[in-house]
Amino acid sequence: MNSNKKFTIMIAGVITVVIFWIGWVSSNPKDEKAMASFISVEKLLNDKMKKRTKLGGLVKDGSIIISETNYLDCSFVLKEGAAELKVKYDRSRPDLFKDGAEVIITGQYLDGTFYADELQTKCASRYEGDLRDESSYKLTEIET
Amino acid sequence: MTPIAGAVALNLAFGFSILSIICLFIFTLNEDKRLFLTGQRLSLGISFFVFLSTFILWYQLIISNFDIDYVARYTSIETPFIYKISALWAGQSGSLLFWLFILSIFATITVLQNQSKHHGLMPWVIISLSIIQLFFLILTNFVTNPFMPTDADFVVANGNGLNPLLQNVTMAIHPPTLYLGYVGFSVPFAFAISALMNRDTSTLWIQSIRRWTLVAWLFLSSGIILGGWWAYQELGWGGYWAWDPVENASFMPWLTATAFLHSIIIQEKKDMLRIWNMALIILTFTLCIFGTFLTRSGVMSSVHSFTASSLGPIFLIFVFLILIISFSLMYLRKSELRSEKRMESFTSRESGFLFNNLVFVVMCFAVFWGTLFPVISETVRGTKITVGPPFFNQINVPIGLILLALTGVGPLLAWRNTSKQSLIKNFTFPILSGLIAAIIFLFIGFRGSVVISFSLSVFVLATISTEFKRGISARTKKFNESIFKALFAMVSKNRSRYGGYIVHVGIVFMFVGFTGHAFDKEKEFSLTKGQSDHVAGYEFTLLKLSETERPNHYAWISDIRVTDNKGEYVTNLYPEKRIYFHKNPDVNRRQPHSELDIYSTLNKDIYSIFSAVDNENGVVFIKIMVNPLVRWVWIGGYILVIGTMIALWPRKD
Amino acid sequence: MDYIRDYSLVFIFFVLPIIFVIQPLFLKKINDFENQMDLSSLKRKKRLLYRQIKELEMEFDIGNINQKDLETSRKELKVEVSEVITKINANKI
Repeated sequence: MNSNKKFTIMIAGVITVVIFWIGWVSSNPKDEKAMASFISVEKLLNDKMKKRTKLGGLVKDGSIIISETNYLDCSFVLKEGAAELKVKYDRSRPDLFKDGAEVIITGQYLDGTFYADELQTKCASRYEGDLRDESSYKLTEIET
Repeated sequence: MTPIAGAVALNLAFGFSILSIICLFIFTLNEDKRLFLTGQRLSLGISFFVFLSTFILWYQLIISNFDIDYVARYTSIETPFIYKISALWAGQSGSLLFWLFILSIFATITVLQNQSKHHGLMPWVIISLSIIQLFFLILTNFVTNPFMPTDADFVVANGNGLNPLLQNVTMAIHPPTLYLGYVGFSVPFAFAISALMNRDTSTLWIQSIRRWTLVAWLFLSSGIILGGWWAYQELGWGGYWAWDPVENASFMPWLTATAFLHSIIIQEKKDMLRIWNMALIILTFTLCIFGTFLTRSGVMSSVHSFTASSLGPIFLIFVFLILIISFSLMYLRKSELRSEKRMESFTSRESGFLFNNLVFVVMCFAVFWGTLFPVISETVRGTKITVGPPFFNQINVPIGLILLALTGVGPLLAWRNTSKQSLIKNFTFPILSGLIAAIIFLFIGFRGSVVISFSLSVFVLATISTEFKRGISARTKKFNESIFKALFAMVSKNRSRYGGYIVHVGIVFMFVGFTGHAFDKEKEFSLTKGQSDHVAGYEFTLLKLSETERPNHYAWISDIRVTDNKGEYVTNLYPEKRIYFHKNPDVNRRQPHSELDIYSTLNKDIYSIFSAVDNENGVVFIKIMVNPLVRWVWIGGYILVIGTMIALWPRKD
Repeated sequence: MDYIRDYSLVFIFFVLPIIFVIQPLFLKKINDFENQMDLSSLKRKKRLLYRQIKELEMEFDIGNINQKDLETSRKELKVEVSEVITKINANKI
């Protein structure tokens, strides 16, 4: 066997091992937090999924309740379309978390409540959205 | 100058880029030198108009001309001057213009530097660069024009202002640094394409782009490190790397570029791996464009991405075009790319480099896989499965450790073949030190990958010092020099080589810092004045809660005393809770922000976040993290930059 | 006065660059610059080859290549250098 062939086999070997490794980790991650399926609130409620899932939606206005004894304990209602879901979360909340905020949460569903252990807020609309706030006004409004 | 002039300049640059491509293309057919000169000047012209329009946009940002949509969106009258400047890369259309701006600087340097060099390569180099410019000119002219006026029925009295998270000096430098890296790879890529077009794939093109590649690599590396530093200082989740799609997007070209930097050494010295090098630089550039795409298109949800836009498909088409054209070109030139020389032995420098390259590329693939996993799983299985940091860590930790080991092994192997005696001679000391270190670490009580990582670090440092020792003793023997003189002469005569070793030292230190992550501790708790709580052997006592109003925000400041387990004073931490736009009558428009405070030592960082305040009862909610060895990541970063600078330092001939 | 300012700015920023760009098209044929280019790239090549020989010797001193490899590689490089030097001399004349 010449050296060139040896190298080819060696390289192929390395690549195969790594592909198996990646495939193995993808199918059996060590840490349950490694993967979560992103599904809709409606599907979660219909299927009563117990697996770790990721949900997106809006915080229902006025639904945020912060526990009086422990400030970190909080619950709110997540709205996605017509579907609503009660969520409990007991870690420090991001700065932009408030009524109407768009959030992505990760956690598990159990007996009607979703226990989230990760909560991300999406970028504040102020920075990407509309210019039509109090500092702007319609031209037509001034003229009339 | 009016904004119209900026838009016109962009139009002209667009026209010039098409003309320059045509002009130089005709030159490659008929060899009329006048056409070459014109093409060169057209290329300078593109850059000139891009500079002009960039400066006009900057001027509009500075004078707060809110008739321009971009200015109104990303700045306000109160925005401090330097953030008005940095607003150029805060939004989508501006950052594309900024990409183009940097590309034009590089194109100008390339054209001017090579006026009398690389006569054969230059036409295609300029054509390739013009094509890349053309792509970004199409985007800025027709898709998202930064000079677009504000909607006609509105008068904007004041703009939105820049996101407070971006009002941070690091954040003002991080994107340009990263961009300099991304864009920098356009030049080596252009040379590669030109080498293929000219059927000259020997070492000439490699020699002309080595420095460029290193410069781009330096910017990309420091951009990535600065990004981590910013996340650590500002975002308040206590880490510097989250395997976020956009972070991955900058890491992937870094991996292939690092592989490329190593494998061109072999092509230069041994004329091997031509195909491989070509493929690597094409891949690196494609990944740079893909990175820009991930950042700008909003395909992936991430802290970085902008709201979904029409850019996605256009970028994807460009990425595919680059891949298809470059690789079919390589296919057409496959006979020229084949080199006669072959690897001879596993225990040779060449094979060491080859395997290091393989591991880099494989790691890049792993990161790519994880980044696109949600997309892949959605198309294949119909459910979108998102992957988090544990996934990436599990995959990449072993690969990273193998890479670390190869960093040590490679330099000790001889070219072509290493004899048994020299293998034993070179490896005895490093392997022994690694083993002794491993025993000590096990004895201390470390386990698993921590031990492997620490002892490999010792091993690599030992090999690097052996390398320095061998070089010095060779010189002292030959020229009878003193050790210091020999060291100095050796480094200055072989800058890229010893600069490279110093970069390796930096990487080892960074690995030490990464390993510290295994010992992170965190806790969240509430405190009233005088109360205290414990985390990882430290005691935290709230001494005072004060309030203050500053020009653009309102702040609560807690004063926390930290003492260690013997009761000795360590430091005071002052994390803040701020409300930006606090004067805004609409409560929802006010923006809270936690300003953290970090006490940092070589051993560990104490990281404090002011999560919330309960005003009525005077309660503060604090999150404390104790992160060992984080400092070493930044120290490693500095060493990496210094090493690269040594390698780059021009030498007198 | 604004007119004059505007027109002169337009002239400086937009008309001049265009003139600069099309000027070479009106030149007569250019011949000699190719030789110059070749000469400088040959000189560069010579420098690089000399550097490679030095590096090779250093690798040998450190012990990264054996005597035989040193001899053969050095010979190859020297042949290349002499070819380049002949070309440079031919060009000068």
